[in-house]
Amino acid sequence: MITLILPAVFIGLLFHGIHRKVIARIQGRPGPPIWQEILHTLKFSFKQTWIPKTASMPMYVFIVAVSIAIWTGAFYIVFSGGSLLLLFAVFMLHKITEHGLGLSSGSPYGKFGAIRSVMSAASEIPLFATIAGIYVVTGSLMISDITKYQEIHGPLLIHAFPIAIALYIVILSKMHYGPFSIIEAKEIVSGNRTEHFGVWRAGLEVAYALKTFVLLAAFVLLFIGALPWYLMLLAMLILLVSLSFVCAFTPMLSPFDAVAMQTVITGILAVYIIFLGVMG
Amino acid sequence: MFNLPIEGEELFVLEFGDIVNYFSLYTTTLFLFATAFIIIAIIARPERQTDIVFGTDAVYTKEINPDNLRFQRFMAIACGLATLGAVCSGDLFNFCLFTALIGITNIGIVAGVNNRYVLNAAYNYGIVAMVATTFLFGGAATALGTCGTLSIWELAGLGMVPLAAKMFLVLGVMGEGMAPFYIAKAEITRAPGAPYVLMIHVSSLLIFLRIIEIILTV
Repeated sequence: MITLILPAVFIGLLFHGIHRKVIARIQGRPGPPIWQEILHTLKFSFKQTWIPKTASMPMYVFIVAVSIAIWTGAFYIVFSGGSLLLLFAVFMLHKITEHGLGLSSGSPYGKFGAIRSVMSAASEIPLFATIAGIYVVTGSLMISDITKYQEIHGPLLIHAFPIAIALYIVILSKMHYGPFSIIEAKEIVSGNRTEHFGVWRAGLEVAYALKTFVLLAAFVLLFIGALPWYLMLLAMLILLVSLSFVCAFTPMLSPFDAVAMQTVITGILAVYIIFLGVMG
Repeated sequence: MFNLPIEGEELFVLEFGDIVNYFSLYTTTLFLFATAFIIIAIIARPERQTDIVFGTDAVYTKEINPDNLRFQRFMAIACGLATLGAVCSGDLFNFCLFTALIGITNIGIVAGVNNRYVLNAAYNYGIVAMVATTFLFGGAATALGTCGTLSIWELAGLGMVPLAAKMFLVLGVMGEGMAPFYIAKAEITRAPGAPYVLMIHVSSLLIFLRIIEIILTV
């Protein structure tokens, strides 16, 4: 499993590059080459690295390590068929790392990014709706059981389409340049990552690449089922391109609108799940 | 754990007489995460906040005296310890007790800041937490009245706990874990002590994650 982490990071970074390229082409720009994010990460790895005098040490460094650790754990959970509840926990813990990144530097931009990160906690609620919905439909939260269920009953994408939409929105809320990416809006520079540069930024890029890989893989496993690795990658790529289309066509929402929209979507899903539960 | 396909395998149990805490893969993950942030609260020094001078390009750094943050640090560590208790408890009453303690220590973390606006916010959060305690223990009392026990070991997989009790418990946890109330308000920009403020967020999210596991289990 550990030997798969490195390829997953590279594929995740490549996905980030493809995401940028697709957005650029839709908007009529040439865009960067698709391996640009891999180059970025390598570049940051060898740049001069220091710690701001205002930073809270060792939290400033620790939080980067935690980011990498939780998404490495999430990778293990997804590919070992572990509990979906644990994946949900990782997603929530990621919110803590986003918050900690911003608070630890002392920078006002970082702090505003951190505040927005907590305000957008509404983006986690659709994930809870996904988990509750999947539990109602399949009777299990173990990813291995859910894939087995799909082998017998067919993909959940067809049986439980609204639940798939919920997870799709969760992934969309975590994509760069998306409508819900309020924590990295340009008016607050780079948001909670403003003061993390050099090798710290490289570490964050690695963590976020793993995050993208894990979330896309989780969507495919949960709603299409277990596939051979090449079909899995193809399905993840198609999913990513669809997300890139949404990001390219949708402007970034204001913090209030982002939270309101996610809450409304969760409300609709809650009604759907109650309906599923009542109808058996 | 309890032969339910919810939270992964059981790792070990920790018995204190008839109180049996349990560590599944899920609760152990939460436990380790809380432990890591307690260590950070103990060893980390607070950040020095920078702020922008209104109407100019100038930036100034606030001087923070670490002695002023001693109480915040103490409360953050206490909050972390209460979180440890809440995430591994095998008993609904103990979970509620630890969750109420988290609410109290969270207020302490906010109230430790030497600023009248932040202190006013702490007062407001105190009211929210106090109201939430009613729901929290109301939920536990309803579960006890219905099932005759509060042991998660006894209740697991039976589905006997009424939906109203589960909703009360969730409402109580939402009130005690006040991170969203605090962070979304302006006071956060005035309050120094990132490792301690972060503990509010850590504890709030961890008890939220734990209550989800509990309501799915019972």
